Amino acid sequence: MAALRTRLCSVVRTTNALFSRGILQKTTIPAITRLNHITEGQNGRQFSSLTQRITVKCHPVGVRYYSHPPLTVDSVRDRVLLVLKLYDKINPEKLTVDSHFMNDLGLDSLDQVEIIMAMEDEFGFEIPDADADRLMRPADIVQYIADKEDLAA
Amino acid sequence: MTSRTKALSLYKALLRESRKFSNYNFRTYALRRVKDAFRENKVVTDQSKIGELLIFGEESLKIIQRQVTVGQLYGDLPVVLEKKIEQTS
Repeated sequence: MAALRTRLCSVVRTTNALFSRGILQKTTIPAITRLNHITEGQNGRQFSSLTQRITVKCHPVGVRYYSHPPLTVDSVRDRVLLVLKLYDKINPEKLTVDSHFMNDLGLDSLDQVEIIMAMEDEFGFEIPDADADRLMRPADIVQYIADKEDLAA
Repeated sequence: MTSRTKALSLYKALLRESRKFSNYNFRTYALRRVKDAFRENKVVTDQSKIGELLIFGEESLKIIQRQVTVGQLYGDLPVVLEKKIEQTS
């Protein structure tokens, strides 16, 4: 019991030190005061539940919250063309915004499915099969994504 | 639904499911096998043959779905190749 008490005291001392240096958040105050109280009342089980509470209340390290830069029609066009250039069956020199995948670039419908899947990965949303059938030129894909993301042309 | 649209949506479903393999070797094999099989049979015009192939594809899809789940139960370490990709990107 004595050992437990020394350990508790050292925990309280470190938390207090952290708090005085402003490292811990204000939200941890109630938990710490109650932990101080518990050091007097020697109860192992209560202590463990309180340490859990403290871990929950500490702000997670390494988590960032931000949004991606706003899309524009130009950036969408560049990204679509980049994805297509990197596709091994397309000759980058022949590729233009208005080239037809099957007639101009010599691809088949299976390649077109793969292209649509690459676009889904690039822009992070799913394109239903019914819509995917109509997307036969890079310009169509740009237009479709601009419509979905509410971008003004 | 014509057999053409059926085949295309099956192709997409197979590729989507194959990408989920956590094991590098299974994943690349499944993707390669699916792509090769569809290319190999894209000239088939006989309706009964197409029907058979579609059923074979659907059964393979179920196998892949099961194996992806089984594979995820036992975690895999990344292959050397994958580690390099992580470092450079």
